[in-house]
Amino acid sequence: MSWKILKSKKKKKNAAPKPLSNQKQEQSSLFTSVKENEKEFRSIYSDCSDFILRPFLIGGKYDAILLYIEGLSNTDEIDDSVLSPLMEKNENQNDIQIGSLVKSQVAVSDVKELQTFEDCIQAISSGNPIVLVDKYKTGFSLGLTKWEKRSIEPPEAEKVIRGPREGFVETLAVNTSMIRRQIRSPKLKMQSMEIGKYTKTKVIITYIDGIVDHTLVEEVKNRLKRIDIDGILDSGVIEEFIEDHPYSPFPQMLDTERPDTVSGNLLEGRAAILVDGSPFALIVPTTFYSFLQSNEDYYSRFLIATAIRWLRFIFIIISLLLPSLYVALLTFHQEMIPTALLISMAASREQVPFPAIVEVFIMEITFEALREAGLRLPKQVGSAVSIVGALVIGEAAVSAGIVSAPMVIVVAITGIASFTVPRYSAAIAIRMIRFPLVLLAGTLGLLGVMLGLIMIIVHMSTLRSFGVPYLSPMAPMKLSEMKDTMMRAPWWKLNTRPHLTGDYNKYRQSPEQKPGPNKGKQ
Amino acid sequence: MHPLLKTNILLRSIFICLLLFVLSGCWDRVEINDLAIVTGMGIDKTDEGDIELSVQIANPKAMASSGSSSGGQSDGETTVVNTVKGKTIFDARSKLQEGLSRQFFEGHNRVIFISKELAEDGIKKHVDFFARFPSPRLRANVFIVDSKASDILKVPSDFELNSAEVARELAKLKIGLNITTKDLLQQLANESGSIALPIITAEENPTGKKGLRLSGSAIFKKDKMVGQIDSALTRGVLWIRDKIEMSSVTLEPDNTEGYISFELLRSSTELIPTIKDGKWKMIVNITTEDDVVENETNLDILDPKITNKLEKQLERKVKERIQDTLDYVQKELEADIFGFGEAFHHKFPKQWEKEKDKWEEKFPKLEVEIIGEAYIRRPGRSNIPQEEQKKE
Amino acid sequence: MLEKGKISAIQLIILLYPTITATAILVLPATTGSFAKQDMWLSPIWASTFGYLSIFIAYALHKYYPQKTLIEYSEKIVGMIPGKLIGFGFLFFLLHTNGMNLRDYGEFVVGNFLQKTPIIVVVLSMAFVCAITVYGGIEVLARSSQFFFPVFVVLFLFIIVLLIPVLNPKNILPVMGEGLTPSIKGALIPSQWFNEFILISFLLPYLNKKKNAFKWGVLSVSLVMITLVITNLFSLLLFGDITSYFTYPFMDAARYISIADFLQHVELIVMALWVTGMFIKISVFYYAIVLGTAQWLGLTSYRPIVFPIGFLLVVLSIWVTPNLQKLTEFSSTTWPVYAFVFQMFIPVSLLLIAMLRKKKSN
Repeated sequence: MSWKILKSKKKKKNAAPKPLSNQKQEQSSLFTSVKENEKEFRSIYSDCSDFILRPFLIGGKYDAILLYIEGLSNTDEIDDSVLSPLMEKNENQNDIQIGSLVKSQVAVSDVKELQTFEDCIQAISSGNPIVLVDKYKTGFSLGLTKWEKRSIEPPEAEKVIRGPREGFVETLAVNTSMIRRQIRSPKLKMQSMEIGKYTKTKVIITYIDGIVDHTLVEEVKNRLKRIDIDGILDSGVIEEFIEDHPYSPFPQMLDTERPDTVSGNLLEGRAAILVDGSPFALIVPTTFYSFLQSNEDYYSRFLIATAIRWLRFIFIIISLLLPSLYVALLTFHQEMIPTALLISMAASREQVPFPAIVEVFIMEITFEALREAGLRLPKQVGSAVSIVGALVIGEAAVSAGIVSAPMVIVVAITGIASFTVPRYSAAIAIRMIRFPLVLLAGTLGLLGVMLGLIMIIVHMSTLRSFGVPYLSPMAPMKLSEMKDTMMRAPWWKLNTRPHLTGDYNKYRQSPEQKPGPNKGKQ
Repeated sequence: MHPLLKTNILLRSIFICLLLFVLSGCWDRVEINDLAIVTGMGIDKTDEGDIELSVQIANPKAMASSGSSSGGQSDGETTVVNTVKGKTIFDARSKLQEGLSRQFFEGHNRVIFISKELAEDGIKKHVDFFARFPSPRLRANVFIVDSKASDILKVPSDFELNSAEVARELAKLKIGLNITTKDLLQQLANESGSIALPIITAEENPTGKKGLRLSGSAIFKKDKMVGQIDSALTRGVLWIRDKIEMSSVTLEPDNTEGYISFELLRSSTELIPTIKDGKWKMIVNITTEDDVVENETNLDILDPKITNKLEKQLERKVKERIQDTLDYVQKELEADIFGFGEAFHHKFPKQWEKEKDKWEEKFPKLEVEIIGEAYIRRPGRSNIPQEEQKKE
Repeated sequence: MLEKGKISAIQLIILLYPTITATAILVLPATTGSFAKQDMWLSPIWASTFGYLSIFIAYALHKYYPQKTLIEYSEKIVGMIPGKLIGFGFLFFLLHTNGMNLRDYGEFVVGNFLQKTPIIVVVLSMAFVCAITVYGGIEVLARSSQFFFPVFVVLFLFIIVLLIPVLNPKNILPVMGEGLTPSIKGALIPSQWFNEFILISFLLPYLNKKKNAFKWGVLSVSLVMITLVITNLFSLLLFGDITSYFTYPFMDAARYISIADFLQHVELIVMALWVTGMFIKISVFYYAIVLGTAQWLGLTSYRPIVFPIGFLLVVLSIWVTPNLQKLTEFSSTTWPVYAFVFQMFIPVSLLLIAMLRKKKSN
């Protein structure tokens, strides 16, 4: 196919954009007659075998229908608290208003009045049964949602030794309740909106009023509003629609399945986006350093937490640079290797037919493949299996003379090092970047590695996540925030919140809370 | 332009550039298996007055088989020595490369052997290569060889990987001089222009095996070797230069039989130049601390009086040694390898400037006073007088 | 304004410090050493007076025209046509100097590490990285150099600490054996390095808090001075009289390091140091050129000329000299005078005229 045709095709595609806008839909109000309403609903839900429409008589006199979707609503409750009291014949209250009848007879706490078909459909699809009464233009949605959901389990991707063990589930209400249980203040706000023409996914922006910068909330809302898509199945889809730099390999939003991570970040003045059906919340804005921090840092002793942070920093550098340094040293700067080591390396490479760079690629790609395969194995024992597999394959490859023993060590260390990054999204980015670095090392040696690193840093310097520089607080440097990046200062020293954008609530706690035996005694 | 599109262009150009780099090839890339790792170099003089370069190259193949668990006999020596003649070092190196399947790599060369014959003609021109060419190390040790440099390279080694490594480790022990290329360059640039380099010889052990041995120093004047001193005198040079680290002194105390041996703990030497009424004088001030390590006599060295006496004697002995060195090097060879000239330059820059050119004549006549102080710190682990031993 | 970004005072220092030291720590010990011998460590102290002077001039001019760079206010001070001429001259000087910087970088890398790699590849790759940075604007430049600054300092200190065991303190003697003259002679060439501080006039308008700008500038000069004194001192203490024999004494010093037979040949650290430092230096010059050119031409954005000027820089770096010897000769004979004219003479005259005008109008 020629370039021109391709181009013209592209143009055609662009020329006919179909607006999927779901906001400007016309609202049609309910009919007065229950028969007409029934007919309308039957046509809307034609061929929906899970749709249940139950006509009945209120007090034996008035026509009414009950609508719900099988499996989304609590049938027992409907029978006990709605149908049976309503259907009971009550001679005394003959001419009483139906509206108040529903109010007095229906033992359900959450009852909403609905005027339009659209509202009714939304209520039905979210599991609220609807009662429509003849000669009455208002429908009642009853909060009797109940569907099968996963129970709360420890988060799979972010395990901790110490700290809360619960993780988000796919049900939005459960997730918000988990945050609400941690932050009980009414200042914790949850603004909800709906995205997706077909999925009608509920998305909640949560923040703490008084700590968050309101322009940030507005910006998040605006970006979310701009999304025009048929369906949202996970927060990952939203992430790609609202991030600042779509072409960057680095994640610009922190994804977490831990409610305490969300709460902690809300308390630092960030906002979180929760998506119905996804156990992952998105936290904005985010800096690169948040990807290198684990929750546990804040729950274990600060000296140990600081040491572990440094361990992570070192191993992140190793996971990024070790293969490329190996290539650079082995093929360009042999004088850097101690003599004895060089000779033994030369001895071990004597049988290997490949150049070092090819060797690195073979082994690193094999390792990545093993890791990927291990992920999809049943249960997450797969990751252990993949490491063992790599080592076994490595051992066999060495004895077969395909790769050299030092290479296997390098790959193994790199692999382990990349697992020290607490966030998968950042770890995978670092893992992928090391391949171009190996290529650069193979062409220009250490100079190539240096230039590659500079390019990565320059790229990271250009990134911003919702207005916050990605490398902050390192660049631009904010010394006061170093207490929670390069180290983890003790809690009684973490008096100020990190400064993100705009005006902010600076102080987190009262100062001078350092504990000690004489504390409190004067 | 749409901002996204811009990034796209940038990203594409990065990829293209990356590709360009990769496709255009790797100019300096060398696999380690294509390297001939030079571990030692030797320079000899040919009969025609040219240079004969010998290199000792590590043989990883032999190491690989000897290292493996099979334990089979190694297929060849761990090092290979190649020799070729040429006009300059690099010329010889190029010729050597013609017969070598692997690329010459002297980034790991840590030892340079120079034959005595060559040294007598001057070494400055040969050192140039080691300072100019990018890969050789400035930290490489320089030795003068009594016989042929290539023979030293061929000596098999018992503990180390190769003979060059043996020589380097020997120098590191600081029994003799430890001179690197950098030191050599520095001394060549010196005011006095005199150099001392360690001499290494290959000796046959009683068992018939060959081994290396430091056997004194070669003394140079203006980059030409003029004489050599033995190990004892070399130690005197080390004392004066404040470089001595390992030394033992054995005394025969008065009024008794047998010997006492001392081991040097630490010593410091200070060169104090003085100019009085136009008369130049050098004071060498030596302070040394020793331990007793062997006592054959029946002296009770715990007795402070005896210790005092011994200290005096030790002092005298050290002074004697230094005097011997001075007598030979200063008076006969007339080479200022002690750094006296520099000491004068540092302390009296103005006078030095005037007398600089006459230093060569001045040096042999320079008055040198040695002040020594010796301390015996500890009598050793146990103190068993010989007589008591006999009683048992 | 062309540039919407803002930098902080710390970022200003961090941009300027490597801009001066990057080349200075490698090249200067040899040139200073050849004049000042064992007093070479004193020379940077004398030379730094020019640095303070440059900062003062730039700051004084900045006070008169707070929102403008040198290219812009030279038009205001001496009028349209002469101003344009001065601007052109200055831009040409910056372009030429940066071409030399790029070549310096290339020569070092090719001469010491990648002997067979064509210099154009080395230079091109660096120019490309710098172009991306400059394209990102002053904020990206400041942030990335802020990230590399600790790396630069740590690597430098690493080498310095490792060098301590092999130093010979006697090499420093005699201090001022021949009086002040040699060390002042040795200060002549470094003074032009310090004059490069005039580049601050391209950065001052974009400072977010201008209150302490002068103080930070002075601190920056002092830091550079201390670094150069340390470098010269360490090269001297290690090599003594032969310091000036080496093209890059500091690098040979690093090659001499050997700790426990394992940590040796750390000259690659010098290369890392050099590459990070040169990256910042070339980028700062590059940015000044791009911004200045855009202002000189009256463009609405400097982005479109980033890559063309980058190309020009690469070509210049090749044209500027046929070999290292010519480059060294040029930078130790012609360049000091040439640089003095642009970095010192023109700014001083601009300041004097501006002051006179101010007086007249008052």
